[in-house]
Amino acid sequence: MIGPPLASDRAMIELEDLHKHFGSLHVLKGINLSVSAGEVVCIIGPSGSGKSTLLRCVNYLEVPERGRIRIDGKIAYRDEIGGAFRPHSNRAIAAVRTKVGMVFQHFNLFPHLTALENLTEAPVHVLKVGKEEARLRGLELLAQVGLVDKQGAYPEELSGGQQQRVAIARALMMNPKAMLFDEVTSALDPELVTEVLAVMRDLAQRGMTMLIVTHEMNFARQAAARVIFMDHGVVVEQDTPARIFEAPQQQRTRNFLRTILER
Amino acid sequence: MQFFNPEIAVANFGPLLAGLLITVELTVVVITISLVFALLVALGGLSRFAPLSWLVRSYIEVMRGTPLLLQLIYVYYVLPEIGIRLNSFTAGVIALSLNYSAYISEVYRSGIQAIARGQHDAAAALGMTRGLAMRRIILPQAIRIVIPSLGNYFISLFKDTALCSVVSIQEVVFTAQILAARNFQYFTLYTVVAVMYFAVSFPAARFVGYLERKTARGYRRKRK
Repeated sequence: MIGPPLASDRAMIELEDLHKHFGSLHVLKGINLSVSAGEVVCIIGPSGSGKSTLLRCVNYLEVPERGRIRIDGKIAYRDEIGGAFRPHSNRAIAAVRTKVGMVFQHFNLFPHLTALENLTEAPVHVLKVGKEEARLRGLELLAQVGLVDKQGAYPEELSGGQQQRVAIARALMMNPKAMLFDEVTSALDPELVTEVLAVMRDLAQRGMTMLIVTHEMNFARQAAARVIFMDHGVVVEQDTPARIFEAPQQQRTRNFLRTILER
Repeated sequence: MQFFNPEIAVANFGPLLAGLLITVELTVVVITISLVFALLVALGGLSRFAPLSWLVRSYIEVMRGTPLLLQLIYVYYVLPEIGIRLNSFTAGVIALSLNYSAYISEVYRSGIQAIARGQHDAAAALGMTRGLAMRRIILPQAIRIVIPSLGNYFISLFKDTALCSVVSIQEVVFTAQILAARNFQYFTLYTVVAVMYFAVSFPAARFVGYLERKTARGYRRKRK
């Protein structure tokens, strides 16, 4: 089967007028974006365009100066009262984060824990799942990403591709409603990219809501329902992959795709 | 003139060994207190609550900026003037613990700050609060990094306990001083003391090396 399953109309992630500065640098200039439940959205764009910062704002690893974030229909992380923000309690913020899994460019596995322990750590200590239940679920997910035989290995003993698959499984352990992928194949040797993308395709087929920052244009073309092109902190253009890649409307999009595809 | 007199060494071995036991006892008590207290100090210093981190910084600077010998004298001889009277062992433990906690807290701090930001990100993204992430993810990795430094401080403390002779704790150096004042066998007595120190600190250093290798688990590829 080619192409993702149909997304529902229920919005899972909604961003409204998001602004973020790093010092004098205006990284996000009023981003509006909505991802429906079950939808797979890829964000592309040149480096420094604000893609990763946008993703990090979704689970509040970066705090935007302005704007609203809704996760599964509910205002997340803070309330806006008379123009001022009041952050939610640390526990409330953490609780929302458990619903939004994140996978990082550099895997960020916990080096002092085995593959299986990396998976069970948060369910046991955050969600208070029983150890045995977490272990069984962990083995199930390691099997899903094809690494059940590596359960006792430390991250250091795994290849980059294997580490990234463990990291995906680790995020799935929390039963998230949506997953964020931040250039998850950019740090991998070329021959290891395929195995990670295969896991992500599989996840998309299972109906996971996914927001993916990527440089893998073929993956975006095949797996995404919608592709967003960002540049200089704004959404320049968004459309189906077919239209973005075959008939982009904006000059900036055309220029970017030309430089990428001519490589 | 005779340099090393084996008979004197044997005759005084008992009292010197008793002094060595006091030295070891002092070291173990102080390092136990310091390892725990220094961690609290380090976490306080990293706290976002400004008055707490300011208090911690001042404490560390005062401890590092004054001699340990003076701190010992201060606790034992000056505090009684404001009504705090301590026996010599307690005074020694307090002064040494305050001093070493200041240094060790800086070791902890550097270890905690050496952990990559990605580890904090990953923990937060999994819904861990700062406290839980610190306890389960950051500290276990930081401890591994600081074990060699902690080992150095441990061995350095073992030798610094000799300063406690000024507050008349009968540790091994003070014992040797008393004995030597009686029989003038400086060479023999202090040689025995030196050998005793080395006999303890050398195996201790080896033990620290063993701990280092053991906690490297997961950081080095296993032999295939």
